[in-house]
Amino acid sequence: MNLKDPSSMNNILGIVLRAGVVLSGIIIAIGTTLFVANHSLDDTSAYLAYNPSLVPHGTFPVSLTGIAIGLGSLDPFSLIELGFLVLLATPVARVALSLFLFAAEKDRMFVYLTAAVLAILLFSILATPLIPLFNG
Amino acid sequence: MIVIEFFLTLFVASIAAGALGSVVGIGGGLIVIPILTLFLGVDIHYAIGASIVSIIATSSGAAATYVKDRITNLRIGMFLETATTTGAIIGAAIAAYLSATILEAIFGTILIISLIPLIRKIGEEYPPKQQLKGLAEKLNLRGDYVERDGRKIEYDATNPGKGLAGMLAAGLISGLLGIGSGTFKVLSMDIVMKLPMKVSTTTSNFMIGVTAAASAGIYFARGDVNPLITAPVALGILIGASLGTRVLVSARNTAVRKIFALVLAASAIEMIIRALGF
Repeated sequence: MNLKDPSSMNNILGIVLRAGVVLSGIIIAIGTTLFVANHSLDDTSAYLAYNPSLVPHGTFPVSLTGIAIGLGSLDPFSLIELGFLVLLATPVARVALSLFLFAAEKDRMFVYLTAAVLAILLFSILATPLIPLFNG
Repeated sequence: MIVIEFFLTLFVASIAAGALGSVVGIGGGLIVIPILTLFLGVDIHYAIGASIVSIIATSSGAAATYVKDRITNLRIGMFLETATTTGAIIGAAIAAYLSATILEAIFGTILIISLIPLIRKIGEEYPPKQQLKGLAEKLNLRGDYVERDGRKIEYDATNPGKGLAGMLAAGLISGLLGIGSGTFKVLSMDIVMKLPMKVSTTTSNFMIGVTAAASAGIYFARGDVNPLITAPVALGILIGASLGTRVLVSARNTAVRKIFALVLAASAIEMIIRALGF
C-alpha cells in the first residue's frame, strides 16, 4: 500500500475507524449481556439516581483506575464505560490520522491546522476535567 | 420501569436517531434527549451525557463509510474544526454563568429564521459553480465526490471567514448546552459556504464527533455518562448509523435538504418549548 497516495490513506482511516467502532460495540454488547443476564427485572430507579451535590453524580466508575478494578471482576458497568472510552477514542484517532494524511500530501498549512485541532482536543479531554472552572 | 423494558425502548429509539442523524449530519440528541426526559423520567444531566454518547456514536459509526466513499471533505472539516473546538471549550467554561433558558430561546429563534434561506434553495440539487478566491483559494477549500451513477461532482467553497464564525457559534452552543449543534454546522456549510448538501451533512457528521469528544471528558469525569443509558444508546445508534449511511450515499441532495429542513424545524420547536419551560 502506497502511503503517499491519498486514497490509500483514506482506506487506512476507514479501517481504523471501523475497527474502533466494532471493538467498542463488542465491549458494550458484552457488558450489556452480562448486566441483563442478572438484572433484567431490576427496577431502573436505583441505577438512575442523580446526586447533584456529589461528584461524580452517580454510582458507577468514572476513573480509569475504577474501571480497571471493575474489569477484574467482570463488572458490567465497567465494561460499558470502557466501551464508551474506546468509542471516544475514535474521533481522536481520526484527527491524529488526518495529520499523517496531510503530511503525506505535503500540505503544510493543513498539518498545522490539524495539529492545532488535535492539541485543543487532547487538552479538553485530558486537562479540563481537572480544572474547577469547567466543573460547574 | 424494569431494566429490560428500559433497554429495549431506548435501543429502538436510538436506532431511529442514528439513522436520521447520520443522513442529516446531526447527533441524535434531538430524539434521545426527549425520550429520556419525557418518557423515561431520566434526569436532564444524564440525558445530556447520553446525547454526547449518541453524537460520538453517530459520527464514528457513519464515518468509516463516508471516509471510504470520500463524500466528507476532510480539509473543510478540519479547517472549520479549529473554530468549533475552540468555541466548545469557551462555552463549557462560561456555561455556569449563563442562563440555559435564554440561550435556548435565542438559538431556537435563530434556527427558525434560518429556515427562510434553506427553503429558498430547497430544490437546488448542486450549488452554482463558485469562484475560488481569498482564504478559500489559499487553503484550497474545494473538492469532489462521485455520485452512485458515476458522475463526478466538483465544488468550491465560498465565504470561509463567515463559515468559520458560524462554526465558532456552533462550538459555543455545543459547550453551553451539551448538544452537537449539527444543525448550525450544516446550515453554515449549506447556506454560507455553498457546498453540496451531502458534503455539508457528511462533513458535519465528521465534525460533531470531534466537537463532542472535546467536551466528553468533562461529562465523563462528572459522572454524567451513565452506563445503564450509554449501553442501549451506543448499540442502537451504531446500528442506526450504518443503516443511514446506506441511504445517504445514493440519496439526492434535494431529498437530504428536505429531511434536514424538517429536522431543523423540529429542533427549533424543541428548543423553544424547553426555553418556555414545558
